[in-house]
Amino acid sequence: MITINNLLKSYNHKVAVDIPQLEIGNGIIGLVGNNGAGKTTLFRLLLDLIKADKDEVYFNDKDVSKNEDWKNYTAAYIDEGFLIPYLTPEEYFYFVGKLHNRSKVNVDEMLSGLAAFFDGSILNSGKYIRDLSKGNQFKVGIAACLIQEPDVIILDEPFANLDPSSQIRLIKMLEELNAKKPMAILVSSHDLNHITEVCTRILLMEKGRIIKDLKTSSDTLTELEDYFRV
Amino acid sequence: MIYTLLQHQWKSFWRSRNAGRNVAIQIIIGFFVLYLIVAAIFLGFSFDSILSDAFPHQDVIPVFMGFILYYFAFDMIMRFIMQELPTLAVQPYLTQNIKRNQLVSFLNVRSLFSIFIFLPLFLFLPFITTTVSAKYGALVSLSLVVTIFSLVIFNHFMALFIKRKTILNQWWLIGFFLLILLVVAADYFKIFSFRDISAAVFMKVIKIPALCLVFIALAIASWYNNNIFLRKNFYLENLEKSTGKKKSTDFSWLQRFGTYGDLISIDIKLIQRNKRPRSLFLLSVIFLFYGFIFFKPENIKAGNLGILLVGSIFITGMFMVSFGQFLFAWQSSHFDGMMAANIQVKTYIKSKMMLLIFFSSIAFLLSLLYGFVSVKLIPILIASWLFNIGVHSILTGFIGTRNYKGLDLSKRSSFNYQGTGAAQWLYSLIILVAGAIIYLPFALLINKWAGIAAIGIAGIISLLMQDWWIDKITVQFKKQKYKMLDGFREN
Repeated sequence: MITINNLLKSYNHKVAVDIPQLEIGNGIIGLVGNNGAGKTTLFRLLLDLIKADKDEVYFNDKDVSKNEDWKNYTAAYIDEGFLIPYLTPEEYFYFVGKLHNRSKVNVDEMLSGLAAFFDGSILNSGKYIRDLSKGNQFKVGIAACLIQEPDVIILDEPFANLDPSSQIRLIKMLEELNAKKPMAILVSSHDLNHITEVCTRILLMEKGRIIKDLKTSSDTLTELEDYFRV
Repeated sequence: MIYTLLQHQWKSFWRSRNAGRNVAIQIIIGFFVLYLIVAAIFLGFSFDSILSDAFPHQDVIPVFMGFILYYFAFDMIMRFIMQELPTLAVQPYLTQNIKRNQLVSFLNVRSLFSIFIFLPLFLFLPFITTTVSAKYGALVSLSLVVTIFSLVIFNHFMALFIKRKTILNQWWLIGFFLLILLVVAADYFKIFSFRDISAAVFMKVIKIPALCLVFIALAIASWYNNNIFLRKNFYLENLEKSTGKKKSTDFSWLQRFGTYGDLISIDIKLIQRNKRPRSLFLLSVIFLFYGFIFFKPENIKAGNLGILLVGSIFITGMFMVSFGQFLFAWQSSHFDGMMAANIQVKTYIKSKMMLLIFFSSIAFLLSLLYGFVSVKLIPILIASWLFNIGVHSILTGFIGTRNYKGLDLSKRSSFNYQGTGAAQWLYSLIILVAGAIIYLPFALLINKWAGIAAIGIAGIISLLMQDWWIDKITVQFKKQKYKMLDGFREN
């Protein structure tokens, strides 16, 4: 699905991301690492939002910086910068849906499936997205990703901004999604419990490098906890 | 207490994150204000000679009195556009032991630190204390000074009141502009004469100096009204955004354009729902009237086509310039999202071009009304419109990819230089130079009408090449994209 060759990005001679070779296939893949490890930078590189010094990121064998096909099947939410602040959530959902040829009816149908996740505070709230709380903005962003029915989903620290119930709902939703059709779901998080629960593969980043590539097993949580122990 | 709050404001100014830039802007504004004051004093002292030159065989005092109301009408509009609402982040103070009345008075006192308060005094005092005083004595001139000062205060608090009202309810804004338009039209078509009214009112004050008490009462009433309003809507200052239930809208007439239509409707909502673009567009409406400056009968009669052309390009391109100067930067807060969304870069750029053409065409249709001034203007307006939709729009696209400065949509527009860089200043220059390069050779070698024709034909040719141009802009955009993303994110 996603292939990375010799990806290098540095700011002021300080390496931000340095990945010689990485293959990402289907499944839920977790990305962990302390602040400044380069998780968000890596996501932005994948989405062609940052120019790499040396860059070769391939989605389905096509270079993301030279070809825009990836936009058809990739959905991402990194921060509020992905939302259009002066639209109502509904307007935003319809807009994103239309970009993927989904009719309003279609979008409404999907949104009704997310009613529990929204907890009554998103739809018909009579607010623009900019007036929603940060957590609710995150829900809008995640929902917009799901509407697209993508093959690749990239979520940056989705658990950090959600309340406990929503976190558990999100885990369930991701698992269902993954079971329904083969897709690559990339999730970064600081929450080791959640990450080991939901992910089949976990990448550990440190100073821009991927130092561990783990297949999740019963020992993974202890292994990660050992790494992060100060 | 008010003093402490003023101190906090002072600190918030100096300790803000971009204090350096703020200071630089304040210095520039300071020079501007100084210039205004000097000009006002100079004008104030020369009223006597100017008026007696312009209106010989007339008593200058009634003539002068005739202009006062004009000034205050103009003052009202200027305040409305430029004056900032004094705001205080009230939240941290609400839970402290400070009376609400004190906070309201603070907002009122703070608002008085404004050039608009002092300018009229510099302008009117010299004439009143010299010419009027010489003829009618000190008491009369004192009464006039008090009257003028009261009017300043009245205007001041009235403008703040109306402005705050417009934040709550858009209709006040439309009503305000309609009222102004009606008054201007009535005066222009001589339904009633502002000048006569003004002269009559103020000559009456000269006759009966005690009438100044009426104006004092007006000023106090306006202050009181503002006070009551503020006390009732205290939370408005920082919670203005959450008033009223927001409705979803879709522009069904845009649906037929597919993704282009969707992108355009988002841009239209951007203008409708954000302070800065909205006020900028309202300003551009005023620029439509610039025609009365450019299209003077003497220019038309003398065949000064160059000036008429500059005027036409300006008027038919005004909306385009307003939007185009920040073409991509308008979306700086969510540029990441736009770039990661399922929108091909070419589609994105083409939607912007369509929008620019749409804006220019609206301005063009409105500007056709100048045909009533002179039919000669119509071919010039058509040529300018073609130039704008053909050449101007493409240049705007290229320049837009060179702008890396983001901006905050919620900040007001006048005196707001956030997101402005060399690119904006260069922008108008490039458009004018492009027009001159096309116009001048033909105008000088053949004749002026050939120059106008060249402008129109250049527009048509460029418009026919639009697809090719858009490809070029797309290539440029893809190269510049990372720099733009980086710059916009910093905001």
